[in-house]
Amino acid sequence: MKLISCQNSNMKEQNQQSTITEIVERDYKEKLDKRKKEISYYQEKTEELGLKSTKRFTEYHPDPSKSMLTGVTFAHRDLESVVESMANRQPWAVISGLNPSGPLHFGHKQIFEEVLWMQKQGAEVFIPVTNDESYLVGKVKSLSESRKTAYEKVIPSIIAMGFSPEKTHIFVNSDYPDLYNLAIDISKHLTLNKVYKVFGFGENEEGENPGTIFYRGGVQLAQILLPQYEEFGGKKPSIVPVGIDQYPYILLARDAALKKGFVPPAATFVKFEEGLDGKGKMSASRPNSAIFLTDDLENVKRKIKSAYTGGSPSATFQKEHGGVPEICPIYQLRAYHFTNNNELKEQCSTGNILCGECKKQAVEEVSEYITEHQTKLSIAKTKINDYLLKKPIKSILTE
Amino acid sequence: MNIERLLSTNGLIKQAPTTDVILSRADKVSPNPIKLFYGETYDDKGHTIDSLKYYLFVSNLATSLQETGRLSEATILVADTATCRNVGPENQNYYMVLGEERANFVRKVNEVYRTGLHVVKMSEYINSPDFLNERDKTIEQCKANPELMEAVKRTVPESKVDVEHEKGFLYSFDEIATIINLDIKVGPPREDLYDNVARTIAQNVNKKQVMSLFLTPSFPIGMNWSYFFANEGIEDHGITAYKAGSKRLQKNRIIIERSNPDYIKELINNSFISPNRALPNPVLDIGIISEMAKNRLENNEAPVTLADDFYEGRISEKKLKEKVGTEVETYILSKF
Repeated sequence: MKLISCQNSNMKEQNQQSTITEIVERDYKEKLDKRKKEISYYQEKTEELGLKSTKRFTEYHPDPSKSMLTGVTFAHRDLESVVESMANRQPWAVISGLNPSGPLHFGHKQIFEEVLWMQKQGAEVFIPVTNDESYLVGKVKSLSESRKTAYEKVIPSIIAMGFSPEKTHIFVNSDYPDLYNLAIDISKHLTLNKVYKVFGFGENEEGENPGTIFYRGGVQLAQILLPQYEEFGGKKPSIVPVGIDQYPYILLARDAALKKGFVPPAATFVKFEEGLDGKGKMSASRPNSAIFLTDDLENVKRKIKSAYTGGSPSATFQKEHGGVPEICPIYQLRAYHFTNNNELKEQCSTGNILCGECKKQAVEEVSEYITEHQTKLSIAKTKINDYLLKKPIKSILTE
Repeated sequence: MNIERLLSTNGLIKQAPTTDVILSRADKVSPNPIKLFYGETYDDKGHTIDSLKYYLFVSNLATSLQETGRLSEATILVADTATCRNVGPENQNYYMVLGEERANFVRKVNEVYRTGLHVVKMSEYINSPDFLNERDKTIEQCKANPELMEAVKRTVPESKVDVEHEKGFLYSFDEIATIINLDIKVGPPREDLYDNVARTIAQNVNKKQVMSLFLTPSFPIGMNWSYFFANEGIEDHGITAYKAGSKRLQKNRIIIERSNPDYIKELINNSFISPNRALPNPVLDIGIISEMAKNRLENNEAPVTLADDFYEGRISEKKLKEKVGTEVETYILSKF
């Protein structure tokens, strides 16, 4: 009996061991599959939409942005139309808006650093803060709520990133009603059919509200084409850094630009920054997926410590096989914002750094950045007026 | 001049047969000389430094072969008749005169650099019975072979296929019949289209096939990175070496006998340069031509190592620009 009991215990241990091994291997395989999907997603999108890779740009530009060097900005449409102005310091513009449904997070930071780089290359920067959209699509309960977030949390953070007041024009849509006149002006050149076709309206069972349709077919395009109106120096090359899901806007805006006699806006496409929960892009609607620039340091630590990673549940396995940095939000957080991405990628994929250590370093890097950023916020809040676009748009109202 | 070293000059050679292949061809045609050839058309904007690159190289190749004890004959063809096929009848006389000017320029290069190049104008042989016979045979063979005829069509830019079709593709047939009996044809990479047809025809009739030797493409100077970024494919094709007005960029070319050295220095200073070997480097290109010219003037057989010096960090971008600005004036512009 004793012998049998001992055998049973050994078998149990062996079974447990094999179950753990299976779990670890399955986890690794899932992560490799996720990486494969991630890589092919952006490649397929680039081909499907007829975009060009930004690799050529990084080869030629004497000082490309970190976002381009790390491959976060991975594709473009018609960047050729902007480069001559960029290189020769002639007028050009960049337009990059955001939804003020919450404070800025690192996903926003990534895009605004790209915009800031463009400003350093000579671009005039236009930042529409789309509180009307936040309300229309149900991200906030009222226009006033998103307006408040815009002024209290979003705009100060943008200013604190170092934008020049002379070359930056921020506007909260509901406080810049002239934009709606432009939207009327532009929507005249589109058909409802076209807007439906581009955005796939009607698929939602509950339907869309007319405001959303006007927003997409008019206001959004007005924001993109605004820098080319007479009040802002007239027709000029412009660029919109966006996520790939925003491509329909670019298509419509290019179409509308041609009809208005403007230069069709170019676009660069940015990869989504993976949320810390590993469940999709970093988003304010899943607060634990994002590190907000207004988070306190305890929260930063907690979010990073509990984040999903590209590592393995078994340290031994990870040391042997390495992690999968391409799908790891901690890797992305560090590589996109702080460290030399090639070195970190190498360290992670060869198992030379494990997730615990990597997270510890991430906490330090993020905390240092956030502390510095937050010290700048109080000054930034006093400078909002220097950045707000107030110029009335009269040219479309006069002959 | 060592042929092996000449053929491995970085920044000058795009694609070349191996030394062994060239020497064995020279042995095969012996006691006749191995025929080296470079042909060009022209426009009315002057003689480019980029043409000089080809003249100097062909001459260097001939010299290096002679030093191995082989006979060689280096010919520069001024394709005046071909040029006139593409200008209106009212301009033909003017362009024939320009052809004579280009031939005289090559003769002047011979005087300055002792290049020993044989200068031929297309008009001197195009109506000769031998050439007409060769061209007729070429046309006959191509017309009998749909694949070859397709290849002939590909020698013409797509936008000009209809016009050339009406002219019976005579421009292309003149070119092919001209090169079919050569040994080595030096040229820019896009001329492979002609060379391939000539080789196929030669193969069909069991004749020796012309070998292609491509030098690096030519680029405009004084252009910043945005020009090169926006012109996809320029890395492979460059602009037309022998036409100063190629893509209307004559203000960004070095035109011998015309360009002001100070203006050229300014262009060089404003030129795009990259440490990436795969990208165009117009300044380095001019530097290599200037060094070839300098070596010829000083009777120096040292290899041109400027590309290695730059890409391996022995010479900085600033120094390269200074050196090239000075040398192009001293060894080229001031000699004409």
